[in-house]
Amino acid sequence: MNIENGGSCQRPGCPDHSGTLPPCAGLAVPYVPFQQDDPQKYDQAEALSNGTLFPGLNLPFHLKVEGSDLPSTPLVELQALEFVVLELGIYLDTHPDDAEAFALFKQYAAMEKAARAAYESRFGPLMKSSAASGDRYRWLQDPWPWNYQQNEVK
Amino acid sequence: MFIYEKKLQFPVKIANPNPKLAAYIISQYGGPDGELGASMRYLSQRYAMPYPEAKGVLTDIGTEELGHMEMVAAIVHQLTRNLTDEEVRANPGFAAYFVDHTTGVYPTAASGFPWTAASIQSTGDVIADLTEDLAADAAMV
Repeated sequence: MNIENGGSCQRPGCPDHSGTLPPCAGLAVPYVPFQQDDPQKYDQAEALSNGTLFPGLNLPFHLKVEGSDLPSTPLVELQALEFVVLELGIYLDTHPDDAEAFALFKQYAAMEKAARAAYESRFGPLMKSSAASGDRYRWLQDPWPWNYQQNEVK
Repeated sequence: MFIYEKKLQFPVKIANPNPKLAAYIISQYGGPDGELGASMRYLSQRYAMPYPEAKGVLTDIGTEELGHMEMVAAIVHQLTRNLTDEEVRANPGFAAYFVDHTTGVYPTAASGFPWTAASIQSTGDVIADLTEDLAADAAMV
């Protein structure tokens, strides 16, 4: 293709006959790279800290990639597992035939289920349905999610 | 159908109140490109979507945005927790909000304009909707 600047296209049907564009150039050629199957992944703590499971999607904000420092508490560990399940779930929506991602999804979903049960048995229900399995109704017990204090141990 | 999970997606534990910062962050709750708008945008647009992959994405991301909305509300709540009278008076940026809402969490833009569906779109046209999503999400970054 001739990409010389300043030419003008003589061919009939050319959409742009004059100007400083290369002769007969398309006005714009945008492209979006599609996320490929089996992309590189963070572990769960790094994923939660960076807000994405995929290094390939972790774009620099103000020219640097910087995760948050997270405390290691039972709740944060559960949040990290749940985040990976959520991220893989959205990835699988657009890549339903990625068998490795689906295997990882199953693996993390099982880990998350176990971690949730362990957390709920120590700290009370996270889901209304789990409130039915205790010896009394614990759904209302503090802290509610927005009421955590800075030194909360959970 | 939605079921509540009694936890945030990401920990929010703020030690020191900062009403000035809260007056900015409230826009991420109820502003034109905030989380409330994001969840309403995706969860409304999905009905016009013919492709299963994109129905899935709009549903799952729209749902996740509801979780983001809760985190932002928790941030605003904790930034205005246990404010003293002096702290309110010393922050004119927060005072206008305080007049009507005290330390209640209210979906509004930082400008004081209350959340409005006029800042989102659902056209029934898949390409138009997805293009709007790109613009809204770019504004959030």
